[in-house]
Amino acid sequence: MTDKGYAVIGERVPIQDAVLKVTGQYKFTDDLKLPGMLYAQVLFSPVPHARIKSIDTSAAEALPGVRAVATYKNSPRVRYNSTTRLYTQKWIENECIFDDTVRFIGDRVAAVAADTLEIAKKAVRLIKVEYEELPYYTDPLEAMAEDAYPIHGDSNIAGKIYQNAGDVEKGLAEADYVFEDTYTTPAVHHGAIETHAAIAYVDPRGKLTVITANQNTFGTRIVLARIFGLPLSRIRVINPGMGGAFGGKLEVTIEPVVAQLARMTGRPVKLTYNRKETMISTRTRHAAIITIKTGVKKDGTIVAQDIKVITNTGAYAGSAMNVVGAMSGKVYKVYKIPNLRFTGYPVYTNTPSAGAMRGYGSPQVFFAQQCQLQKIAKALNMDFAELQLKNLVDPDGIDQRTGKSIGNPRPKDCLRRALELQRNWQPLSDEGGKYAIGVGMALGCHGNSTFDAHLDKASIIIKMNEDSSCILFSGSHEMGQATITAQMQAVAEILKLPLDMIDVVCGDTDLCGWTVGDFSSRGIYISLYAAKKAAEAARAALLRAAALLLEEDVNNLDLSESHVYSRVSGKRVERYRVMEYVQQVLKEEIICTASHHATRAPGSYGFHIARVRVEKSTGKVEVTDYIAVQDVGKVINRLGAEGQVEGAVQMGIGYALCEKLEVDAEGRVRSSSFRQYKMLRAANMPKLQVDFVEEYEPTGPFGAKSLAECAVVAVAPAVINAICNALDIEIKDLPYSYRGQ
Amino acid sequence: MEKITLRVNSRDVEVLVEPSWTLLYVLREVLDLTGVKPGCHTGDCGACKVIIDGEAVNSCLVRAVHVQGKSIETVEGLAQDGRLHPLQQAFIDCGAVQCGYCTPGMLMSAKSLLDKNPAPTEEEIKEALGNNYCRCTGYYKIVEAIQLAAARMREVGAE
Ligand code: FES
Ligand code: FES
Repeated sequence: MTDKGYAVIGERVPIQDAVLKVTGQYKFTDDLKLPGMLYAQVLFSPVPHARIKSIDTSAAEALPGVRAVATYKNSPRVRYNSTTRLYTQKWIENECIFDDTVRFIGDRVAAVAADTLEIAKKAVRLIKVEYEELPYYTDPLEAMAEDAYPIHGDSNIAGKIYQNAGDVEKGLAEADYVFEDTYTTPAVHHGAIETHAAIAYVDPRGKLTVITANQNTFGTRIVLARIFGLPLSRIRVINPGMGGAFGGKLEVTIEPVVAQLARMTGRPVKLTYNRKETMISTRTRHAAIITIKTGVKKDGTIVAQDIKVITNTGAYAGSAMNVVGAMSGKVYKVYKIPNLRFTGYPVYTNTPSAGAMRGYGSPQVFFAQQCQLQKIAKALNMDFAELQLKNLVDPDGIDQRTGKSIGNPRPKDCLRRALELQRNWQPLSDEGGKYAIGVGMALGCHGNSTFDAHLDKASIIIKMNEDSSCILFSGSHEMGQATITAQMQAVAEILKLPLDMIDVVCGDTDLCGWTVGDFSSRGIYISLYAAKKAAEAARAALLRAAALLLEEDVNNLDLSESHVYSRVSGKRVERYRVMEYVQQVLKEEIICTASHHATRAPGSYGFHIARVRVEKSTGKVEVTDYIAVQDVGKVINRLGAEGQVEGAVQMGIGYALCEKLEVDAEGRVRSSSFRQYKMLRAANMPKLQVDFVEEYEPTGPFGAKSLAECAVVAVAPAVINAICNALDIEIKDLPYSYRGQ
Repeated sequence: MEKITLRVNSRDVEVLVEPSWTLLYVLREVLDLTGVKPGCHTGDCGACKVIIDGEAVNSCLVRAVHVQGKSIETVEGLAQDGRLHPLQQAFIDCGAVQCGYCTPGMLMSAKSLLDKNPAPTEEEIKEALGNNYCRCTGYYKIVEAIQLAAARMREVGAE
């Protein structure tokens, strides 16, 4: 069942909520106002590590208009893991709403709820805190020293991740050449244009509702339940849609704060972080130090690779283990390296907490690996593409640790297609030697679903209306990735309905079926599959009722947009008549639930080629041309798929050239506004060619697999490799900082 | 508090404002025009862009008292009589909308450009978007949408 001439699957479908967005009528969290709503402001730690000796909130409380001041003294001290997904899961739990110890500049000390934001801000300034400062670390290498002062427990090493295939020492001994290099990547900010915002209220029965820009509503509900000791039935988490997230809104950050203030005041409370607060006090992408030792044969065959990673996970555990864990799994999906070892240590420091960000460990490790491989190809005097083809997995590729299939991996097809597209490039002038021109390429890989780490499941509900239109209830979270649009496409395809006959209720823990949140490249691979199954169940129910009504064998029946008809007898009946029969004669409803869970985590791949022009005198880089070819199994929404890759190129070039959340030696974030933290503008974008390799993934819905995270992975190494080629230098640290000769 | 009159989306409104209030704050919090988005409050993201007397301006940098009597256009005023503005339609058609958070600001920058220059080049479009961040789209489909809207508007104008 490959491409079957679908009606809407694979088409160019604008995101379903676009009309609301272009008219300014889409309501993001901060756009909402509830009657009697209070406004909150958080007091952040000005010191990197300290015990709170005393905290005096009396002046703040006395300020007219202040309704509550929350600190560690009057708030639950339950410790949680901010990225919790499953109720029974036990991950490292060392964060709480407020603590008697602050662990980074930007850590939460207290929060105020007041009649206006101005009053809340004023009140925060009236809180007097005395700190007893403690030793602090901004560098993970110092923090992991044995005699370092522990930020949590008795060591700053949060844990160890170890994966192995084959015998690395033996492989390295058999290699003709061994290369060892260390690369570093910085912490970066997600840069979603909507900052973090949440609103909480408590009803007279004590039921807590939190409306929040959060990608993990069901997980957030668990964290809130633990903190406040409530059954899940007494907590409702609603995501109204997000103005971008990219992993930055995966973890619980401000939700417990507004919830606590709402419980203290009995009134709705809104908390919106400004840009600086979002940059210093939510999450970042892990900075990493990656050492790779690679053994190769003269002909370019990679025989062994030893990867050692230290990540700076910041002040709290959150994704510490998960990101390095994910990183460790992905390197086994790419090359036929029989001896491959991965050792990773997430390390606590007194810097902002690192968490999930688009690519979830892949951008760091593939940056290092792809840059080193180019260096190796050069040393062997070998074409880089040839070295890639020699080592990349084939469609029958296996994970060397387990011998199990990794789906239908097509990195080689991506590479070949990218090389074809390169022929479209026009010659580029160096303007009499003013510029150095270079071309670089890189492979990127990412997974599908959380299967390698824990259960991945989504449950979707479809409710048919009298006129045969329907409502889809989806626990998915919309953040611009068009996951809901994809689910509607599946329903439209299966139920043969036009898209405007389908509407959706989403991101609401009370109304929707349970699902893992929207991260881990699972929207297309898992949630879409659940939507497809739910639509198939609704279709079957409709046909069963029609069979009774028409007195026809159900197996002969089929759907058209308006009718149910028999392919055999030609009998037909309008769809609304079938619904009338269901409701008025059978006295029933068609409400179908379907679940889908992962049974495998195949790889998604991208092969990218960048061309850069570097001004020799200043080192200034312009990425002039770019090619991105992604292996996606099957494109569900061509418009959306292109858009994901285009956005990933913006984010990836930024990672290569200019984005860095700079933390100084005192632990202060230096680039804490958009003035200092530079992202790419429209004029900085290269000429871009995007294409897809569509080879059916047997475990994906309609043969599809993930795209949006994978698309960012290859960008930075492709650009850096291009610069290395242009200038004939080696670059090992992101972002690029060469300033000319 | 000071009473000022603003002409917002072709309607005169009287509002009481504090001298420190930004136009962004007044539009969102007093007039409930939440299509105008905050993204940075430092004039660097363009999400709060509105058109003041024809110019696209970051409303987070403007004090409301300073625009007394001026004509202000926000995204809410773009569609007329239930019909989308050609820019809005083109943004939808081209896939220029993902999360949609930058969209109102992008639309206002684009409208101010097309009002002055009905046939902008790609470079002119990028220049007009020089202060608008989008983190989702890579700007490609936004630029394409503005070109499409401009072409459609010229076609209608030529009829
Ligand atoms: S909020 Fe005004 S430019 Fe960002
Ligand atoms: S569409 Fe999300 S920021 Fe532009």
